[in-house]
Amino acid sequence: MVTNNVRCLEKWEGKLQIDYNEEWAYLDVLLAARDYIHRGYFLLTHPLAGSVKPNQTPFKSIILSEESLEGAEDFRDLTLIEESIEAYHKFMGNRPLPEWSEKSVEDFRTIDLSLMEGVMANPIMNRR
Amino acid sequence: MKLELGKIYIRDVQFAEKTYVKDGTLYVCKEEIEKLVLEDERLTGARVELARPGESVRISPVKDVIEPRVKVEGNGAVFPGVIGKVGQVGEGRTHALVGATVITCGKIVGFQEGVIDMSGPTAKYTPFSQTNNVCVVIEPADGLETHDYEAAGRMAGLKTAVYVAEAAKNLVPDEIVTYETKPLLEQIAQYPDLPKIGYVHMLQSQGLLHDTYYYGVDAKKFIPTIMYPTEIMDGAIVSGNCVAPCDKVTTYHHLNNPVIEDLYQHHGKDLNFVGVILTNENVFLADKERHSDMVAKLAKYLGLDGLLITEEGYGNPDTDLMMNCKKVTQAGVKVVIITDEFPGRDGKSYSLADAVPEADTMVSCGQGNLIVHFPPMDKLIGTMDYVESQIGGYAGCMNEDGSFDAELQIIIASTIANGFNKLAARTY
Repeated sequence: MVTNNVRCLEKWEGKLQIDYNEEWAYLDVLLAARDYIHRGYFLLTHPLAGSVKPNQTPFKSIILSEESLEGAEDFRDLTLIEESIEAYHKFMGNRPLPEWSEKSVEDFRTIDLSLMEGVMANPIMNRR
Repeated sequence: MKLELGKIYIRDVQFAEKTYVKDGTLYVCKEEIEKLVLEDERLTGARVELARPGESVRISPVKDVIEPRVKVEGNGAVFPGVIGKVGQVGEGRTHALVGATVITCGKIVGFQEGVIDMSGPTAKYTPFSQTNNVCVVIEPADGLETHDYEAAGRMAGLKTAVYVAEAAKNLVPDEIVTYETKPLLEQIAQYPDLPKIGYVHMLQSQGLLHDTYYYGVDAKKFIPTIMYPTEIMDGAIVSGNCVAPCDKVTTYHHLNNPVIEDLYQHHGKDLNFVGVILTNENVFLADKERHSDMVAKLAKYLGLDGLLITEEGYGNPDTDLMMNCKKVTQAGVKVVIITDEFPGRDGKSYSLADAVPEADTMVSCGQGNLIVHFPPMDKLIGTMDYVESQIGGYAGCMNEDGSFDAELQIIIASTIANGFNKLAARTY
């Protein structure tokens, strides 16, 4: 899991290999995921998971695996991550991320954590 | 499956000592609603307020909107598996208080949720400026966890709607509309020369504040299935989605799905409306691959000539939309997608986060990035404390006189991606 959400780190440290950096912006998580894809990893979760747009939430978590679960077409993951990076720049160009209150920031951590909890509860995660 | 929808038209809403309908006016008992909502110990506050078309009233932040409906004849109860017992719905007769809604408002999390203006220049962007709204403003118990608060808010709205709808049970409807879809082979045989058309209804299912329920089942946990279109009219689908006001499909929009309504309008005339395929919008890419395969399989299995697809949300769901579009097209079924757009401020960027060559026919429901001005209103239902951080708002957007500027996406259902609005983007 690549993430900048400390609550994901706290929840799954030791259970998943976690690449966490609290200094990372949303974009940095996308870029880290892109680098893993170039190294042969496959995306398990959609990079833009959640309807909260990239210029609205500071947090992003993405799960990748060395093994593909679905035999997707070549370059699907690379296309998806590049489209996500492009979408990030489009939204940030339109309006940058607001200065959220700590309460809102915590709400955004909760939303991101919840998206990942849904993923972790999926039986497919227990297949390996 | 055949459903008679008895419409009772509501033109006004007033408080009274009991809840009933007389001469097109809905009278509601405030105390009974507040008592009903506060039966849930997760909520410590419930205040009922009314909002009518043309009034200088702003409602914010809105969680869900629900049309009051009650089962009069036939199996089951409205909102099966959530409020009513689990049991098949979609047959018999249902009464609806058309022109009335129940709206739940209250802060669920710090940044989300939308605005409804009952008058002024922004009223035209939401259908709920034209309805008589019973607003329930809720407050959580101290320290209530976000998931529990969302669930409590969802149930408060549904319970109130069911309570209000009881008033419609013994009334003679102003109009009765009959909708019927037969079992597949009979339906195809009824209009053998007309094109067989289906509808793929994609349900938001990504997690907290992004969930939808079908007969009470969390949509992220099901696999694509077939639904009679009339089931949705009895509340088989309930919204638990709170994110992105502009294209959120409220429970009201599920009950009044415009694609289903219009397909029935054309049914037997220029097309044969065969049924609905329900699918979801999960976070897992493996789920997306599996479920889009299944959608294409069902489309082919039903013998469809064409189908319409709607999505809910932006980003992650765009990938489901494109996978569905691509695989259904490759299965030999023609596809039209319906969605709203986020092309950036100049309107020149990609509208969606994903695209495939097969997605060559699309109905646009408008773009959410347009900035509009909201004048001050005399009365506020809810709170404007969060407007700067609501989706579409921004730091400094609020003025001292109560007016503010924000992107269109702050308004409930302004660019809803199933076409229950009046916006579109045109190509010049």
